[in-house]
Amino acid sequence: MQKKIGTIKTDNNGFNAIAALAEGAYDFSFETLELDFCECSFFDANMAAPLYAVLTKYNLCEIKTTNLRNKIEKIFQKNGFLCELGFPRLPDTNQTTLPFRSFSLDSIQEFNIYLSEYMRERGIPSMTEGLRRAFLRSLLEIFQNAVEHSFSDYDIYVCGQFFPNLHRLDFTIADAGMGIRENVRRHLNNKMNSIPAIKWVLEEGHSTKKDKLGGLGLKLIKSFVMLNKGKVQIVSRYGFYEFSCSGETFSKLDHDFPGTCVNIEINTNDPYGYALQSELKSSDIF
Amino acid sequence: MTKTETISVADIIGGDLCISSEDGQKVFDKIVPILQTGKHVVISFEQISMLISLFLNAAIGQLYGKFTEDQIRSKLEVTGLAGDDMEILRRVVENAKRYYANRTEYDKAWLATEGDYEE
Repeated sequence: MQKKIGTIKTDNNGFNAIAALAEGAYDFSFETLELDFCECSFFDANMAAPLYAVLTKYNLCEIKTTNLRNKIEKIFQKNGFLCELGFPRLPDTNQTTLPFRSFSLDSIQEFNIYLSEYMRERGIPSMTEGLRRAFLRSLLEIFQNAVEHSFSDYDIYVCGQFFPNLHRLDFTIADAGMGIRENVRRHLNNKMNSIPAIKWVLEEGHSTKKDKLGGLGLKLIKSFVMLNKGKVQIVSRYGFYEFSCSGETFSKLDHDFPGTCVNIEINTNDPYGYALQSELKSSDIF
Repeated sequence: MTKTETISVADIIGGDLCISSEDGQKVFDKIVPILQTGKHVVISFEQISMLISLFLNAAIGQLYGKFTEDQIRSKLEVTGLAGDDMEILRRVVENAKRYYANRTEYDKAWLATEGDYEE
C-alpha cells in the first residue's frame, strides 16, 4: 500500500495531512506501507510524533519510505524518527532537536529525564530559569493528560524542534488513544462531536475524571502561552484547536486523527519573570 | 493549645518530583488523619524541584471534598514553594473549591449539546 505525504508544517493543514494517512489503516494488515515523500518539500521535525501515532494504527510488517529529499531524510535521521524504521542515526551537530521517542504510559519519570537531558546545555537556547520551568511543567502536564485520558493500547510519542532563526521551540506529544470526543461522550453520556468536546475540556472546572477533581493542565498551559506569546494546538479526532495571544480558533479537520496530539510552541526569547512578582501566602490561597 | 505537625512532601514521595497523582494521593493520605485530630498541618515542599497541577489536585485539592473551607484555612499551611508554584496551587485550590461546591452543575448546560455536522 502506498500513501503520499506532502509538506507538513505544524498547522491545521499539516495535522489534516497526517490524519489523512490513517484512512484505510484498519483494513490493512500485515503488509508493507510505502510512504512516498515525492510531494514533501518540508517537514516540521516535531510532527514526527503525530505521524508515528498514525502509523501505529497499521498492523504492519514493514514501512518503507521513498523519494525522501536529502534534507528531510537528514532531519529524520538526526531526530531519530527514521531510526525507528531502520535508518542509521545521524548526530545532531546543531543540537536543535529533542529526539523522537516513545514512552509507555507509566514512564513519566523517564520522560522527565529525557526533558532534563535535552533541555539543557544544548543548542536549545539558554532560557531564563522561570521560562524553562514553566515550559517543562507544561510538557509534564500534557504528558500526564495523555496518560490519564488516552486509554491507549500504545505508547505516547514525543518530538521537539528548535528553530533558532525564529526563536521558536515546538514540542509535540501524541497518543493513539480514544481521543477527547470519546472521552467526553462517555463522561456526559451524549454524542458530542470533536470540536464541542475540545471546547468542553477547556472550560474551567471541566474534567472527564469520574467523581474526581481534575482538569487544570490545559488551562494552565493557555495562561503560560498567553504570557509567553507562544501557541498551543490541540488535535483530536476531527477537531483542531489553536490558542495564542492573538486569540483562539476551532476548526474541523477533513480527516480523522486517531487519537490526541498537543503541540506547544514557545517563544524562546521571553524572559518570563514578569508574571511571578506577587508573594502569595497560604492564607491568601486557602 | 493546638499542636502543629510538619510533613515533608519530599520524604513522603521519596524524591523531588511532584508529577504523579499516585504520589499526590500519598500526601493526601498523610494529611487527612492529622487534620482529623484537629492539629495544624504544615506541608513542606522543601527539596521539591518540580510540581504539576495533577499532583496538587490529589494532594491538596481533594481536601476540599473532605473538609470545609474554614477548616482548611485555619489548619493548613504550605511552605517551601516558589512564586510560580504558589500560583499553580492557587489555581488548584480555586478549581477545587468550585468543583466541590458545584459538583453536578457544570455539566448540565452541555448535556444537550449535539454536533451540528456529521463526523
